[in-house]
Amino acid sequence: MITIEDLTVSFGAVQALRNVSFVAETGKITAVLGANGAGKTTLLRTISGLKEPKTGTIRLDDQSLVHKRTEDIARLGIGHVPEGRGVIGEFTVEENLRLGAMMARVNLLQGLQEQYELFPVLGERRKQHAAKLSGGERQMLAMARALIAKPSVLLLDEPSLGLAPLVTAQLMHTIQSLCESSDLTVILVEQNATSALRIAHHAVVLHVGKVVANDTAANVSANDNLRQYYLGLVE
Amino acid sequence: MKLIAVRRRVPIAIAIAVAVTIIALVAASTTREGIALSIAFDLAVACGIAMSVPGFKADHPVVSRAALTLLALDVAIFLTFFFSSSTNFNLATGAAMSIVLLGLSFLTGASGQISLGNGAFMGVGAFAMAIWANHHATTPIVLTLLIAVACGALVGLLLGLPATRLRGPYLAGMTLAFAVAFTFILSSFSSWTGGDSGLQLPTAATAPRWLDGFFHAGTPPLTTTTLYITDVAIIVAGVAFFFMANLFASRTGRSMRLIRDNDVAAELVGVSLPRTRVVAFIVSSAYAALGGALLTLIDNSVSPPTYSFALSVTILSLIVIGGIGTISGALIGGVIYAFSTNVISWITTQTGLNPQGNLASQLNGIIFGGLLILTMLFAPFGITGAARQLWHRLRARFPR
Repeated sequence: MITIEDLTVSFGAVQALRNVSFVAETGKITAVLGANGAGKTTLLRTISGLKEPKTGTIRLDDQSLVHKRTEDIARLGIGHVPEGRGVIGEFTVEENLRLGAMMARVNLLQGLQEQYELFPVLGERRKQHAAKLSGGERQMLAMARALIAKPSVLLLDEPSLGLAPLVTAQLMHTIQSLCESSDLTVILVEQNATSALRIAHHAVVLHVGKVVANDTAANVSANDNLRQYYLGLVE
Repeated sequence: MKLIAVRRRVPIAIAIAVAVTIIALVAASTTREGIALSIAFDLAVACGIAMSVPGFKADHPVVSRAALTLLALDVAIFLTFFFSSSTNFNLATGAAMSIVLLGLSFLTGASGQISLGNGAFMGVGAFAMAIWANHHATTPIVLTLLIAVACGALVGLLLGLPATRLRGPYLAGMTLAFAVAFTFILSSFSSWTGGDSGLQLPTAATAPRWLDGFFHAGTPPLTTTTLYITDVAIIVAGVAFFFMANLFASRTGRSMRLIRDNDVAAELVGVSLPRTRVVAFIVSSAYAALGGALLTLIDNSVSPPTYSFALSVTILSLIVIGGIGTISGALIGGVIYAFSTNVISWITTQTGLNPQGNLASQLNGIIFGGLLILTMLFAPFGITGAARQLWHRLRARFPR
């Protein structure tokens, strides 16, 4: 479980997050929604230690994550799939997956097998360079690279960015299956609110760094004001 | 089936190698060339058999690299017995420089950091070797080389620690400052470094007694010392290349390439950026120091002007010409450096230039500068990159 309380993050004089508080429950998907510049990516980067908060706390169960180094947070079991995926084009699919496993003390062969079962297309292309994969396959590879380290929390930053609707639906289904089959906690940052709300248990809506809604996904989805003014979902 | 083939063939190959070696040493020939030929032949056979097994490279990458290194060393050392002294001298110089280039290739190509100070790191190794040899003349060569490597690694650590906070031009600036200051540092400690005139090694390196017969000069104009030092340089280079090839493929090597391409992704998978960057600096400076120490051994002397900032620029040019981030690029760069003196003397002879004149003395820089411009224009990934492109084009045109 990730607990965030009164989190404020600044870039110089600009406050990217203002007193953000919410709880991402174990084994549930928490969608973080909002327009461009709402602070969604900053939130994930702060959880991972890539950005220092000005004030506030972030806890993984009872352990504080504030002031910890990114690599130490990763070793605590927080997997982060950044925007743009961050796969290495000159490495093969398998080499990229090895990168994910190398710092986590996991059984590599078993981990590879599990990821190939979860994403069969990666198994078929294990010897292919990541640069030659499609956008959807790259996203799968980025997720598999995070999952191979067996994280307890998965932070996904815009996984549907630049993907076709069919591929997005497939990816969302995979995320949902992952949560159902394990105790994985997912914080899903998305601009595609419809797709995210469809699979999320809980939703947090950010607007210019502030939380404007923190409720179940069903309630957020049913709230016309939120849909219209903050998520841009017009019926 | 493939695994069975590997398991059967490797012991057979080793058995053949051992048997032929024993036969060669005991009965085949008592002449130096005869023994060299026998050993070279059986090693080549053993390595060839091992590497010809399908899937051997993929299943046993370290053993495969060891076999390839052994094969390359075997051929190179065998050839030294037939080359002239001057060619062997060039080969030894090329071997030493290729080690330096390999270190820089690792730093720049694998970890994405830039250094303009590798000439100075070379100087650290060169002077460490000379100073130690002058105070402890009986120390075996290998130990002296290791001391030079340790000195280089230590300086690399000292410079690498602040370097973890610097990027791009700022990092280049810091290493540049070290390169420029190095010759002045040497002058300041003239009681140790010999000042501007440098240091001579107390004695030329000679083969140990048990190898004396093997390196006995029998074929003029080959001299025992040149042959021995050339073979030492080649073996040291072979070992350095073997270690680097494994390092490139190791977890550390992969972490570095991940940092180079995407440092955020690297941190997110748990790679420590500062630690990995410092390791890259240490490895690079240790390799530079090893190359410098070998050059001292080859030249039998060391002087501060050799390790000026110009050398650092030459090293950077050579690695770009050969191909950054590749092992073969370092080898190509080393060969170009070694034989550049021959090219310069050929040019001066053909053009009637005064060898002591101003232009002739600057030809080295002109040639490397010209080659660098041509490389950047026509082969941005160096000679290795151009060769790879050509190979892919040929394979596309003539598929199997």
